[in-house]
Amino acid sequence: MKHRTHLVLLASLVTGTAWGMDVNATSTTFAQAWQQNRTGFSQSNYSPVTEYVAIDATGLGNPAISMHLYGWGLKDLGDPSSVYGKNTGDLTYGYLQYDFGRANAQLKAGRFTVNQGVGNELVDGVSARTDLRWGFAVSAFGGAPVVYKNNGPNQQSNIAYQHDVIFGGRLAWRAGKYGEIGVSALEDGSQPAYDLVPAQPVDYTRRQMGVDLRMMPVAWFDFSGRTVFDIADHPQPAPGVDNSRIAEHDYKATARLSEQASLTGTYVERNLFAYYAGSTLPTLFNQNEQGMFKATGASLTWNPKASLQVVADLRRTERAAYGDATRFGADLRWTFPDSHLLAGAGFHQVDAFSVVAVAPLVPAYSLSHNELRAWVMAQRGTLSASLDGILLHYADGPGNPELNGKSSESALVGSLGYQAKENLKVTGNLTLDDSPVNGRQVLGLVRVDYRFGSAAKGGK
Amino acid sequence: MFRKFALLSVALGLGLMVACAVISPEASFAPTHPQALDPGRPTCSDCHGTDQVKSTRKTFASFNHTPEFVADHKLPANQDPATCAACHAPAFCADCHGGKTAMLPSTKLGDRPDRMMPHRTDYLTLHQIDGKIDPTGCYECHGRANNDKCSACH
Repeated sequence: MKHRTHLVLLASLVTGTAWGMDVNATSTTFAQAWQQNRTGFSQSNYSPVTEYVAIDATGLGNPAISMHLYGWGLKDLGDPSSVYGKNTGDLTYGYLQYDFGRANAQLKAGRFTVNQGVGNELVDGVSARTDLRWGFAVSAFGGAPVVYKNNGPNQQSNIAYQHDVIFGGRLAWRAGKYGEIGVSALEDGSQPAYDLVPAQPVDYTRRQMGVDLRMMPVAWFDFSGRTVFDIADHPQPAPGVDNSRIAEHDYKATARLSEQASLTGTYVERNLFAYYAGSTLPTLFNQNEQGMFKATGASLTWNPKASLQVVADLRRTERAAYGDATRFGADLRWTFPDSHLLAGAGFHQVDAFSVVAVAPLVPAYSLSHNELRAWVMAQRGTLSASLDGILLHYADGPGNPELNGKSSESALVGSLGYQAKENLKVTGNLTLDDSPVNGRQVLGLVRVDYRFGSAAKGGK
Repeated sequence: MFRKFALLSVALGLGLMVACAVISPEASFAPTHPQALDPGRPTCSDCHGTDQVKSTRKTFASFNHTPEFVADHKLPANQDPATCAACHAPAFCADCHGGKTAMLPSTKLGDRPDRMMPHRTDYLTLHQIDGKIDPTGCYECHGRANNDKCSACH
């Protein structure tokens, strides 16, 4: 979206709030400061100031109409902290919504997040959804995908051109108390790379179809997940290349074993050619990496009493082009009886494959590592405090050329907050960080939250 | 021309009547939770028991914010957004899910270690390992947006 359009949309939405019967606005200001001495780079001094604004206004002339806006702006007082320069910002979303009052029917227009079936996008356009009789529900959206300028001019031009339009929809059926099944489809871009003149090497368009389901046939069992298919037309692949049409299987099953315990199993399978379709960063998410990623996992959650929760987990991953890894460990979370103190701790170990053939003079190195974390939060009256410590140990620190000969990494984040008024809070964070890439850093942050309106919801 | 227009009008009218007839007559889910909730992760079934969430045909227990639910809430948010919206303002989702972000969610919420924010510590080091083990995990958030910092090196 062009800057001028941004301004018009922003101005109209902000003006619209004046008509609102109930307006909630939150301003969050961050002032940060830190110095960076990365190996091989010159020293940088960063001091960005960032302002976030969130507005939710309901009853805009009609109780059914509401407006929602969220955006931020950043100004660097020191060196530029982003690739966008010293002054940047974004309108994350800004839309008008009409709620019909029955059937969860809803219309949206503006910039909003689409989250329906295979569609998980930011769109400048319109969307609609409603529940139907007999347990059916339908939703649809259309518009232009939000495209960010973060590539070279030629590549950016292709991305913008091929992401000219996006639309999709989902039809679902809710079967009594047993669960829900949905079928969805998405089309992003009208001109595949091979249709362009001249033909382009990278295709940024997508055409996908998905099936999602959630089943709870009995109270103690919950099964959910989705499968995504790539249904786009592709040029004939080279001999010996098998580009699967199944982009993803992602499933999870949870069994409640007792009042205190539950067991969850997960299975993920992703075929990289189909899964990476439409990426705006093909140099990183490369469709030419033939093969598959698979992950199987399990976790056991145990609540011996209401104030204590223990989760033990294990995840085995397989990447065809690299190797296998196993991550296992446990987390615990403890709420102290007076509820003023919340604490947690966890340990995880990752037994991972070795990366080989980095360069002729660099031997293979292991990606195995482990992580220890402990944190505590306290709240007493108008004061709040937190402390969060993380320690990482890399099994092959000296052998890994990306770790600059170091084997460990640590971070300690301390925070103090003061609720000056019901709608005003000031928080200060101090982070001490020692990492192989960035070395020792001290990072300071001051956060000021100011709220207008009643903030009936916010999800704190 | 008139005949085509008349046929189109009749078809649209009939389509609209059918559409209205098949729309559920049930009232929408409450836009706001009627009572303030205690801080922390809610267990919906503590108050609602085995009741069904109106219109979703799922039990309140299926929305309990268990560790598994918090870690993987993609599907419930996808299937039943109205249920999420009763307690969460849209900005709550944008804390993590933004197309272009100014800072890491873990930096923005550095005073909330209880929230499972990704990329705690100076993630620049660990991402080189995580990315080799599972690049598809990165793709979920950085594949089509929020990848300005990735593009600086990759």
